[in-house]
Amino acid sequence: MNRLLVTAIGIVAAVGLSALVFIGINKLFDQAERRFAFFNAIVGGVASLIIFGLLWGNRVIATPEVVTLIATLIGAATGLGLGVIKAPRGRLLIGLGGGAALGLLLGLSVRSPFWPAIDPVAAGIGIVSGALLGYLVWTLTGRKGSKTPHLLLGLAVGWLVGAWLAADFAVTLTEDGVLQGATVGTQAEAVLVAVVLGLLAGGWAGSIPYPDDVTRTSIAAGSRKYIFLVPALLFVIGTLVVPLGRTIWLGFLTGSPRNLEWTGLTNYGDILTDPGILDLSDWTSMFSGRLFWGAVVLIVLGVVLGRWLGRSSGSGLGTGFSLSAGTLMLIAGGVVLLGFSVFVAIRGTIPNNLWWIFSVIAFAVTLGLGVAVLADRSKGENLAKSLIFLPMAISFVGASVIWRLMYIARPPQDPQTGVFNTVWVQIGEWSNSDTASAIISAGLALIVVGLLYLGWRGWRAEQNAMVAGSLALTLPLIFLIYRFLGPGIGGFVINEATGDVVAAPVLFIQEAPWNNFWLMVVFIWIQTGFAMVIFSAAIKAVPEELLEAARIDGATESQTFWRVTVPQIYPTIGVVTTTLIVTVLKVFDIPKVMTNGNFDTQVLANEMWQKAFTELDFGVGSAVAVILFIGVLPVMFINIRRMQKERLA
Amino acid sequence: MTATAAKGGPRQPIGKRIYGFLRAIPTWVLWTLVLLWTIPTFGLFVNSFRTRDAQRNSGWWLAFQDNANGYDFPTLDNYQEVLFPDVGAGLGNALLNSASIAIVATIIPIAIAAFAAYAFAWIDFKGREWMFIGTVALLAVPTQVSLIPLLSAYSSGVHMTIPIIERTITLIPDANLAGTIPAVWLTHTGFALPFAIFLLHNYIAGLPKDIFESARIDGADHFKIFYKLVVPLSVPVLAAFAIFQFLWTWNDYLIALTMIGGNRVALPATIVVASLAGEFGAREHLLTAGAFVITVVPLVVFFALQRFFVRGVTAGSVKG
Repeated sequence: MNRLLVTAIGIVAAVGLSALVFIGINKLFDQAERRFAFFNAIVGGVASLIIFGLLWGNRVIATPEVVTLIATLIGAATGLGLGVIKAPRGRLLIGLGGGAALGLLLGLSVRSPFWPAIDPVAAGIGIVSGALLGYLVWTLTGRKGSKTPHLLLGLAVGWLVGAWLAADFAVTLTEDGVLQGATVGTQAEAVLVAVVLGLLAGGWAGSIPYPDDVTRTSIAAGSRKYIFLVPALLFVIGTLVVPLGRTIWLGFLTGSPRNLEWTGLTNYGDILTDPGILDLSDWTSMFSGRLFWGAVVLIVLGVVLGRWLGRSSGSGLGTGFSLSAGTLMLIAGGVVLLGFSVFVAIRGTIPNNLWWIFSVIAFAVTLGLGVAVLADRSKGENLAKSLIFLPMAISFVGASVIWRLMYIARPPQDPQTGVFNTVWVQIGEWSNSDTASAIISAGLALIVVGLLYLGWRGWRAEQNAMVAGSLALTLPLIFLIYRFLGPGIGGFVINEATGDVVAAPVLFIQEAPWNNFWLMVVFIWIQTGFAMVIFSAAIKAVPEELLEAARIDGATESQTFWRVTVPQIYPTIGVVTTTLIVTVLKVFDIPKVMTNGNFDTQVLANEMWQKAFTELDFGVGSAVAVILFIGVLPVMFINIRRMQKERLA
Repeated sequence: MTATAAKGGPRQPIGKRIYGFLRAIPTWVLWTLVLLWTIPTFGLFVNSFRTRDAQRNSGWWLAFQDNANGYDFPTLDNYQEVLFPDVGAGLGNALLNSASIAIVATIIPIAIAAFAAYAFAWIDFKGREWMFIGTVALLAVPTQVSLIPLLSAYSSGVHMTIPIIERTITLIPDANLAGTIPAVWLTHTGFALPFAIFLLHNYIAGLPKDIFESARIDGADHFKIFYKLVVPLSVPVLAAFAIFQFLWTWNDYLIALTMIGGNRVALPATIVVASLAGEFGAREHLLTAGAFVITVVPLVVFFALQRFFVRGVTAGSVKG
C-alpha cells in the first residue's frame, strides 16, 4: 500500500510540476505586454538564479544557499527597476547599481581556489576582442539601435574570459569530482574582477532602452515559438543529439570509464578483425551446401516457367515474362534459400544482424502482404486481422518466453512438451513406420494430382497464374513424398547397432547457426501484424476505378494484382521495409532473453550492451553503437529525402 | 475467373464446384495462419494454470488429462507465487514500477510533443521546415547510441571541458539519478519525442485553417488557441499516441535495464520476468504465469482500444 502511495504521488508530482512550469512560463510572457515591470522582475530574478545556480553546481561559491537567494532578490529588484523607470540615465544607474551589487556579492563569496591572479595581457586582449566582437555583432545585425549595449555586452564577455577564466587559479578537479588547489590570486583580485564584470553586465542591461508597446507585444507573441519548442528541443538535443556526438567521440577512446585515452580507429579495427564479429573464413562452404543448389534450381525453374508461360500467353497484358504468384513464389523461395546459404556460411555478429534484416524483411513483408490480400477477400476479415496483429502488443520479453515454450526440447526418452519438437518427433515416427508413411504419401500424392489437374485446367483456360501456382505448390509436396518414402524425415536417429529408431528432438535455441533463424521467427511473428495493417490500409486505398478498368480490359485477378495493385503500393512497401530495417537493427531483447548472445546468436545491440555495461569498456561499446548508427544512416537519408519531397515541394 | 466457368461449357457443374473451392481457399489459408499465430500465446495461457510437474511432463495441449494424472488443473498457484514477494519473485511490486514508468513516460512526452507539433504546424518562423525534418529524422537513430552518455550523465552529472583554457565546468551537477525511475522517465521522453512530434504534427497540421484565423481575430493568443482548440480537436491522435507509447514503455526492457540496472526495488516487470527466464530451470513453471501477467495489460489495452492503436502504428507509414 505504501509503495502504491509513493508511486501515485511520484506520478502526480512529475506531471503536475511539468504542467505548472509550462503554464507559468506562458502566463509570465503574457505579462510582458501589460505588466512589464512584473515580467521584468521575474526575468531578472530567474536570470540571476540560473547564473548563481550554475556557480553553485560547480562549487565555486561559499554558502551557496544564502548567496543564491540574495542574488535572486537583487536580480529581481534590478529587473523591477528597469521595468518601471523609462529615463535612460535612471535606467543606466539602476543597471550599474544592480550589477555592482551582484558583482560584489560574487566577489566576496567566491571560494579561494577560484581567486584569479589577473594577467594584464590576457585581460587586455579579452577586453579588446570583446569590444570588437560587440561592434561586429552590432554591424552584422543591421546597426539597429544604439551600439552601446552591444559594446558593453562584448566587453563583459571579454573581461570574463580574459580576466577570470584565462587567469591562473590553482584549481584542479580530481577524479572523484572534488576541487583541490592552493590559492594563487587574492580575494581583492576576485572582488575587482567580479565588480567590473557586474558593472559591465549591469551597464548593458541598463543601456537597453525601455521597450515601447510594439516591442512588448512582439516579445509576448514572438516568445511563444520558443516556449512551445524549447522543451521538446531540449529533450531531443539532450537525449539524442548530444549523446550521439559523445558516443562518436567515445568510440575513439579506450580505457576505464574514468580514464579514457585517445586511440583513434583502434576500437573499430579490433571489432572488424574479431572473428566473433565477422568470420569470412568459411565462405566457400556455401557452394557445397544443398541449400545453395536448391536455391539455384528454384530460381532457374521460376525464370524458365515464367518465360515459357509468358511467351505462350496471348492475353492483352502479356509480356515476355509471366509474373504471377507461382513464378514469384519459386524465385522468391530461391532467393531466400540463397540468402540463407550465404548466412549459414559467413558467421559472426555483423552477418547475424544482416541475416536478421534479410529474413525479417523477406518473411514479414511477404506474410504481411499475403495476409492483407487474403483478408481482403475472406470471411471474418477483422477478427483474423486483429488476431494476427495481436503479437504487436506483446513485449519482446513476453514473446521470448512464449516462444521458448514452443521450442522446448526434452531428452529423447521423455515426452516432448514443446509444440515444434512434438510435431517433428511425431513426423519422424511416421516416416519410419511403413503404413504411416504409405498413407501420408498417398494423401500427398492425391493433393499433387489435384494440383496438376488444376494446372491443366488453368492451361486450358489460359490462366497462367493457375498453372504456375499449381506447379510451384507441387514441388514441396513431391519433395515431402520423396523424403517419406526414401531417406525419411523428422526428428529421429537410427541406432546403428540395434537398428532401433530413437527420437531426436531439435535443440532449437542451442544449435548454431539455425538457432538464429528460430529467434528471428519470434520477431517475424510480431512484425507480420505491423506489415499487414499497413499493407491492408494501402490496398484498400487503391482506387476502385483502376481495378475496374483493368478488369474491363480483360486482366485476370492475378494480373490486376501484380500490375495494378502492387505498383500502387510500392511506396508503402518501401516504408515498411525501411521501418523494419530500423527496428531489426536494434533488436536486443529477444537474443538477450533467449540466449544472451550465446550459441553464436550475438547481435550488435547485445554486443554493445555487454561491452559497455558488463565489461565497462565504453570505448568499444561506443564503437559498436556507432556501427549500428552507420547502419541506419541510409534509412535516415531516405526518410529525409521523402519528407523533403512532401514538405518542400 | 469467370473465364474458367464460361470455357467449361457443358461441364459447368464441375467448373462451378472448382470455382467455389478456389473461392474458399483464401479464407482457409488465412484462418490457418491465424491459428498458427494464436497457438503460441494460447499455449502460454494454458500452461500458466498448470502445476510445475504437469508442465514438465506433458505439452499444454494435454492439459485436460492433468486431473486424471493426479495434477491440479486449473490452478492459480503459479500466479500466487510469482506475484507476491514473500512467496516468490515479487512481480507485484515490479508491476507497480512498470505502471509508474509507463504512465509518466506517456503523459510527459504527449504534452511536450503537442506543444512542439503545434509550433511546427501553425507558428511561422525561420528554419521551421528544416528544424522539423531534423527532429523527425532522429526517429531512426538507434537507442543504443545514447545509452552510455545518458547513463553517465545521470550518475555523475554533465561536465564540459573548455578546449583552450583547459577548464572543466559542470553544466548539470551530479543528481544521482542512475538506478531510479525518473531516469527512465527522462530517457523515454527524449526517445519518444521524434515519433510523437511526427505523429501529432501530421494531424494538427491538417486541422482547418479557418478556425485558427477566426480565433486569432477574436484575440486569442497561441496558448489559448492551443488549449481551447487544438487539444480538444486532437483527442483521437493524442489517444493514438498515448496507447502506442504506453505499450512501448510498458513493454520496454532495454532502457529500464540500462538505467535502473541493479536497483532491485525499482525494477519493472519485464526485467523481473526476463531474469526468471535467465535462471534456466529452477523456477521455470513461474515463467508462464509471469509472462502472462506482463502480457495481460497490453492485451487488454489492445482489445479495448485497438482502433487507436492501429492508427498510432500506421500513421505516417501510409501516406497522409
